[in-house]
Formats: sequence, structure tokens, C-alpha cells
Amino acid sequence: MTGAVKRFRVMAITAGVMSLLLWFVDLPVAYLFNNEDWKSKVAWIPFVHGWVYAVYLLTALQFSVKARWELRRVIWLALAGTLPIASFIAERKIVKNYS
Amino acid sequence: MKTRSIIKKFLQALGVIALALVLVGLGNWQLDRAAVVKELNAAAKVIDPKVYSLSELAAPTVALDSRNVNKKVAVNGFYIANFKAPLQSDKDGKVTDWEAALLQVDGSDPSAGILVVRGLWADRLLNMDITMSTKVDLVGTMQPHQNDDRAENVPGVISRLDSSVIVGQADLQLYDGFIVAQSEITRSSELIRTRVVAKAPVSRVAGYYWQHISYVAIWWLIAAIVLYLPFYRRSIAS
Repeated sequence: MTGAVKRFRVMAITAGVMSLLLWFVDLPVAYLFNNEDWKSKVAWIPFVHGWVYAVYLLTALQFSVKARWELRRVIWLALAGTLPIASFIAERKIVKNYS
Repeated sequence: MKTRSIIKKFLQALGVIALALVLVGLGNWQLDRAAVVKELNAAAKVIDPKVYSLSELAAPTVALDSRNVNKKVAVNGFYIANFKAPLQSDKDGKVTDWEAALLQVDGSDPSAGILVVRGLWADRLLNMDITMSTKVDLVGTMQPHQNDDRAENVPGVISRLDSSVIVGQADLQLYDGFIVAQSEITRSSELIRTRVVAKAPVSRVAGYYWQHISYVAIWWLIAAIVLYLPFYRRSIAS
């Protein structure tokens, strides 16, 4: 269980940081500013966020199974990786209850 | 009571399978988008010295294959209409008004036409040869149609380089995309004028190849999770 919590914590923090970058750096640059140079500089953000979220999903699922969480909480935990801050909240709650 | 329970389980299974299929479909859609991005990026980088005939690269009323973008094309025919294409950006980002013309392709049956960027709008009256030239043999590069308007569509002006904005103005079957002319030869000689070089086409699909591939992985992973969740729920309940 400790290993699953640790893995989830690392991925929740990483996914949270990537979500913040995606929502508040990449998306404004892509859709609000017509600057190709800026766009090419932030191109790595959605790419990294995509793969980080895939790994986050796996760690969230592993933790949920080990903690024997009910379905609704599993779905909430999976979605938390897509929204900025939500994965940080999930990480804090899990650390509080399972560490 | 037992029948109702079986029907309920059957419908639940059906729902889970339908949801998983939708998610797999979303993954496939992202896979297609990744392929389009890869093809267009590859096409933009390839410098193919071969000059193709128009029929090798495109067909009237059929979407231009992104693999044929930027290829050199030779075609002959006669101009039947002229348009101003305002606020066009060249490869250096310089914004000018371009002269576009509708070329009726020689020997096409049924009659077909394609938009051709001839040069700068300001040069259209440069000399008599340019003004009077109707029948030409031209060589240029194939470009995909534009999606964003630069101006209003009014008589003699096209909002973007896209054959769909001139549908109905001539009884022709129109090609998708347009040609940026590099040389035009009339009966007498080559027409000398400043040629424009189009800006490298930007993918109509937002994002990057590996970004879309990561979304494919996510959608398919979620599909697998959806299929697993009913078994998980049962194990939790027991």
C-alpha cells in the first residue's frame, strides 16, 4: 500500500503541475496569441501532459484497487488528473488518510 | 424477478460495451489525427523535384490528399475569371493582396477548374501580356485550401483561397486547393512578373504527432478500465 501511495503522490503532483502549465500557459498561447515562436516553445506541454496523465491513470487505478475504493471515488480520482489543482487536492486527501 | 435481474445485467453489460466502443472510437479518431499531422508535416519538408500533371495529384470535387501538398504541378488551360485575394501572407510573412484566377483546365471532361495564384494584385496591369493572357501553360505548387477568411466575399474579391467560395460562379467542377504559379507561358512567351511563394501550410489538425498518440493511449486505457470496472465492483462487493 505504501508503494502505491508513493507512486500515486509522485504522479498526482506531476500531473497537477502539467495541468497548470496546460491550462494557464499552453492553451492561452495556442488560442489567444498569434505567435508561432511562442507556440513552438510550449509545444512540449500537451505532449508531456498526455503521457503523464496516462501514467497517472495507472497509478490512480492501482491505488484505488489496493484501497478497495468504491466506483464513484475511482472515477473522481481518474478525472482529478485532468483539472488543475484537483490532483493536488486528491494527493493531500490520500496522504492524510493512508500514510 | 430472476428475469428482471438478467435483463438488468444484460443492459448494464451492453452499456459498458457501448461506452468502451465509444472510447476505442475516440482513440481511433486521435490516431487518424496523428496520421494527418505526420503526413502534412512530412509533405511540408519534402522537396520533390518532379513536375506532376494535375490529374496525378488531384481530381475535381475530391479533397486534396495532404501528401500532394507542395508538389510541383504542370497544367494548361485558360483563365475565365480574376479575383483579388486580399491580405495574403507569403513565406516571409509579408502581407499583400494577390491576384487569383480561375483556370479552366484544358481537355477536362466534364469541364473542371482550379484556382491559380498568379502573383501580386498590384502587378496585374503591369503589361499587356499579363492582362491579355488567357490561355496559358503553367507550372506551380499545389497548396491546400485556406480555412480562415481575410476579407468579405464581394464580386471580384475572394475572402480566402478556397474553391468553395466561388462555387456557382462558373459551370465547372472545381478542384480542392489551389496552385501558386511559378511560371506561365502564353502563345508568345513566358510571362515575367513577381511570383509569390506561399507560406508553408499549417496543419488543419491542432497539435503534434506524439501528443495525439498520447491521447490514443489515454482513450484506449480508459476503455480497458471501463471494461474492468464491473469486475472490480463485483470484487469490492464480495
